[in-house]
Amino acid sequence: MAPTRRDVLLMGASASAAALIPVGAVEASNGVWQAIDAFTGGAFRLEGGVILDAPEIFDNGGAVPIRVVAEGARRIALFNDGNPNPGVAVFTFGRLVPPEATIRIRLAGSQTVYAVAEMADGTFRQTSQAIAVTVGGCG
Amino acid sequence: MAEPRPRVKLPKSVAAGIPFTVKTRITHPMHTGQRHDSEGALVPRQIINRFVVSFNGEVVVSVDLEPAVSADPYIQFQMAVPESGHLDFQWIDDDGSVYSLSKRIEVD
Repeated sequence: MAPTRRDVLLMGASASAAALIPVGAVEASNGVWQAIDAFTGGAFRLEGGVILDAPEIFDNGGAVPIRVVAEGARRIALFNDGNPNPGVAVFTFGRLVPPEATIRIRLAGSQTVYAVAEMADGTFRQTSQAIAVTVGGCG
Repeated sequence: MAEPRPRVKLPKSVAAGIPFTVKTRITHPMHTGQRHDSEGALVPRQIINRFVVSFNGEVVVSVDLEPAVSADPYIQFQMAVPESGHLDFQWIDDDGSVYSLSKRIEVD
């Protein structure tokens, strides 16, 4: 079931204390944290407020469907921690297009995908999901 | 490389202010710059690096793409328009080529 707006707000409230510690203490080899910092300008990212809708397991790493939604966002960026390069895509939403998109991405192997949203007030939200792929998509 | 072919799917008609789904795709190999051909030579990076959608000349959504986007990039989003008008789609290639498609959207 998709989280309701209330769930998302509650998650954000309870996560806000913990989120003051930089997300992801373990260093990924492809520079994903530096890439996220480059996107946010080093700002803290509160957990929650972004929905990342992706399969937990997928057979074809060459085309994994990913849907992101972040109500109130003006930009949403996708990152990965297991491909040679951490960037995936950055969506910039204007008038008439709500902050929601679906895209198909390549994952070289099982790894974690991150969605970081820049909200209209300039704050940042983040969520992540581990995705297991049975056939890598970058070989 | 075969000439990339853009495709866009829209509803036949829409209601003013009510969101509808826009499905877009372009045929493109999205060479990552990480792969080698059958001779062992590195295939240079060549991707669609930007996608821009405009409604009556105003940019309404843009996407910066990296090599992690799948071949034949597929992007779907929601949109609501206040009136009938023209939707322009542009895909920008690393080599500078711009592939375009225009669609008329009619509000009932």
